Amino acid sequence: MKKIINLDINGQSQEVTVAPHQTLLQVLRDELGLLGTKKGCDTGGCGCCTVQVDGKAMYSCMIFAMSAQGKKITTVEGLAESAVLDPVQQAFIETGAVQCGYCTCGMIMTIKAYLSSNNSRVPSDLEARQAIAGNLCRCTGYQKIVDAIRLAATRRIATGSQKG
Amino acid sequence: MSETSIIGTSVLRPDAYDKVIGGRGFPVNVRLPGMLHGKLLRSPYPHARILRIDTSKAERLPGVRAVLVPSEVPKKKFHPVFFSPGMAASMIPDMLILSDTVRFAGEPVAAVAATSPEIAEEALELIHVDYEQLPFVLDPEATMKPGAPQIHQHAPNNIAMAPAFAFGDLQRGFEEADYIFENTYQTQRVHTCYMEPRVCVVDSDTFGNLTVWSSTQHLFGLREKLASALDIPVSKVRVVRPPYIGGGFGGKLDIGFIEPISALLSMKTRRPVRIEHTRYEDFITTARNPFKVVLKTGVKKDGTFVARSAKSILDTGAHATHGAVVLMVHGMYGFLLPYRCPNSKWEGFTVYTNNMIGGGFRGYGVPQAAFAVESQIDEICEKLQLDPIEFRLKNSHSEGQPHPFEPSFKLDTYRFADCLKQGAAQIGWSGGRSRGKGAGTKRRGIGLACQPLWVSGCVGFPDIYEHSGAVIKLNTDGTADLSMATIDMGSGQTTTLSQVAAAELGVPAEAVRMTYADTETVPFDAPSHASRVTYSAGNAAKAAAGAAKKRLFDVAGPMLKTTPDNLETGGGWVYVKGATDKKLSIADVVKQAESPYVRMVPDGMQRTSLQEKGTVMGIASLAPAANPSPATAEFVEVEVDTETGEVKVLRVVYAHDIGRVINPAGAEGQVEGGFQQGMGYALMENLVFDQDNGACLAADFLSYKMPTALEMPPEIKSVFIESNEPTGPFGAKSLSEPCAIVPAPAIANAIYDAIGVRIRELPITPEKILAALGKLSE
Repeated sequence: MKKIINLDINGQSQEVTVAPHQTLLQVLRDELGLLGTKKGCDTGGCGCCTVQVDGKAMYSCMIFAMSAQGKKITTVEGLAESAVLDPVQQAFIETGAVQCGYCTCGMIMTIKAYLSSNNSRVPSDLEARQAIAGNLCRCTGYQKIVDAIRLAATRRIATGSQKG
Repeated sequence: MSETSIIGTSVLRPDAYDKVIGGRGFPVNVRLPGMLHGKLLRSPYPHARILRIDTSKAERLPGVRAVLVPSEVPKKKFHPVFFSPGMAASMIPDMLILSDTVRFAGEPVAAVAATSPEIAEEALELIHVDYEQLPFVLDPEATMKPGAPQIHQHAPNNIAMAPAFAFGDLQRGFEEADYIFENTYQTQRVHTCYMEPRVCVVDSDTFGNLTVWSSTQHLFGLREKLASALDIPVSKVRVVRPPYIGGGFGGKLDIGFIEPISALLSMKTRRPVRIEHTRYEDFITTARNPFKVVLKTGVKKDGTFVARSAKSILDTGAHATHGAVVLMVHGMYGFLLPYRCPNSKWEGFTVYTNNMIGGGFRGYGVPQAAFAVESQIDEICEKLQLDPIEFRLKNSHSEGQPHPFEPSFKLDTYRFADCLKQGAAQIGWSGGRSRGKGAGTKRRGIGLACQPLWVSGCVGFPDIYEHSGAVIKLNTDGTADLSMATIDMGSGQTTTLSQVAAAELGVPAEAVRMTYADTETVPFDAPSHASRVTYSAGNAAKAAAGAAKKRLFDVAGPMLKTTPDNLETGGGWVYVKGATDKKLSIADVVKQAESPYVRMVPDGMQRTSLQEKGTVMGIASLAPAANPSPATAEFVEVEVDTETGEVKVLRVVYAHDIGRVINPAGAEGQVEGGFQQGMGYALMENLVFDQDNGACLAADFLSYKMPTALEMPPEIKSVFIESNEPTGPFGAKSLSEPCAIVPAPAIANAIYDAIGVRIRELPITPEKILAALGKLSE
């Protein structure tokens, strides 16, 4: 049975008709046209579809859309304010962390959530790697993504930003 | 801004901005009005004849618009591989879009187009197929034995091809040898794991013209192979270049079943049809072929090769696809050519089995060969107490010699020795033998592996395309639009080619923009494969920019009151040679060219010259002048836990003879990503199949394990040995594939150095290490 529900996505309430089996990923991409969230495997194995749900990084392919009601959902489209990039997005560009870019949006959402809850110091190499262990990348060998995490964290601390 | 401030600079990728904010340009995002969704029904059996298909129930399901069955597809067999023409003798056309005999578990038997993917999937369950199960064979050696099930009529004993090459006198060579080594090495089936699934949208018009969007590594290949599979003229197919695709690594170098099936469903329904693979479908669509290599080597006491022979068996699965050429590249660039040996013989077998089909994957047959060759060199050096660096240098080619594959080319720049020396210095190599270093159960070792010879493209190869083309057009604001068929699969080709064009044109790097292309508007380009784009397509981009610059000078000459040959460019300006104060901005020159022939000024009409008029642009279509060889040496330090069998890679130094680096950050990215793929191959990745029914058992990322950030070493150090390749764009040659070829043997050799056991079968899992240490009972 399809049902009309409201989802809080990037600070806006979105009315959408969903079937019980539809995942948040399907609804974001196919119903709402939010194509920044990618499907890499649909089985909770790659992390391309990572979004934030109430500030936590989660695989949107593993969440039924109906169960996301009443929760604050942030997708990559919700990060950049007008043309100003989020510091994590900016760090990805500057460090060369983007190659094919298919994993990038999911990575960025994971890193955003990590940095928001670990904002007092720059993560070590190991901590940065642990933070993204649930996101696969086949192009970069992760090295420049780790660089991007540390660069973004350094800048956050330098600017005193405690914002998510 | 001079050429030197663009070439060798880590210019930021113009596509990165788009990708961090959402990446709309991926083919997976293409949506058309009225688009239908296709799904494929796949065989559960590895070998079966289809007796009857009943689609009536599926057709009645609301939302279903068409069902496609084998009787409706063209009867002409095709080969799906992009990099050679349809008529190439080296390829084996053994595929139909849908066949009434299925030859691997997962081969499509029917397809549905419906108004949603869910309805299409539901319809698949309503299709009833009567199969007659046939005997099947999954083992690549059993398949050649008498009595094995015959998979294709044209291939007795299931041998698709069996080439052999020899030179010198092998028997005499072995007689002259002081020592002979013979070992067997085996490699497994692995997947490229591009993150964007294979996907396509095909639209058709009433005249049967097709427009295709696809996650492909070759625009023109898709056009040609789709036309071939559908048995229609190539001019009926237009393929639109995606701004970028989500990885390929060789895994998107052929048409899949999805493009021709989408095309037929679109022609049936007169609607655009989209098919996206599930990850399971991706896993059974392309793979690096597994190999078994028996390698026999005769050496003198001092380590000089005197005789080498190898026999290689490649399991190509149900259809030959890439297996026909992977075998040849394996034999040539993996075994016969990288080192010198007067007496050599290689024989190869590409055999059919009822396993999944193979594909391309970075290195194309050579990772399998390098694992054997580079492991065995380490074994020889250990036994004869020779230095592995000296051993390789003694048997290698040197700069200035004729190219061993195509003697009309020379190894003009060849810095293999520098790779070995500089790599050794960076890792702290001291003869390499550090057996048992470390305390207690954790042992450290250092390993070396090389790929002394590789390609910068395929010119000189039989039956394989190599030419590239480019169109560049200058705008009145001083920027330029570059249009090429080259696919950027993530490795940064768009950036590199724009840098090359900008440097030649004399404009800032960011002034060149890679723009729209389709098969009707730009010249042919060979695939993004064979490490070729920087070198081969780079030469085309440079030539097109050079032609545009010549036009620019024709216009600027009269404006600066000098002859065109007395001009030069740089930083967005046109200068009179040697007089930097006599200059015009490129924008002003282009405006002059685009302005009216006759202008009204206060004094009346003012004529310009015909020579000045017309858009400033340049085009090129050319094959590169040579196929220069890069060379590579990789040093790896590992730590092996002798209690758990776990291997941890601690340090990596990768040294590469690159000609000239165009974009250092992009080049490092190739090395680092290549190591991840090579390390996965060495230690964990394995596409396993149920031997009782041929079903893939590792068809998602929960069961197919590739390295995450945690398994990767903390640092991969790239050392680029620069020279100035005379035939390359600004001195560049190639990079990509050797990065993924050498890690497996380097890691295997490091493991041996650490614990003294030699594993000759990939992947080197903890179980294999513990078994080799005698710590596992049967």
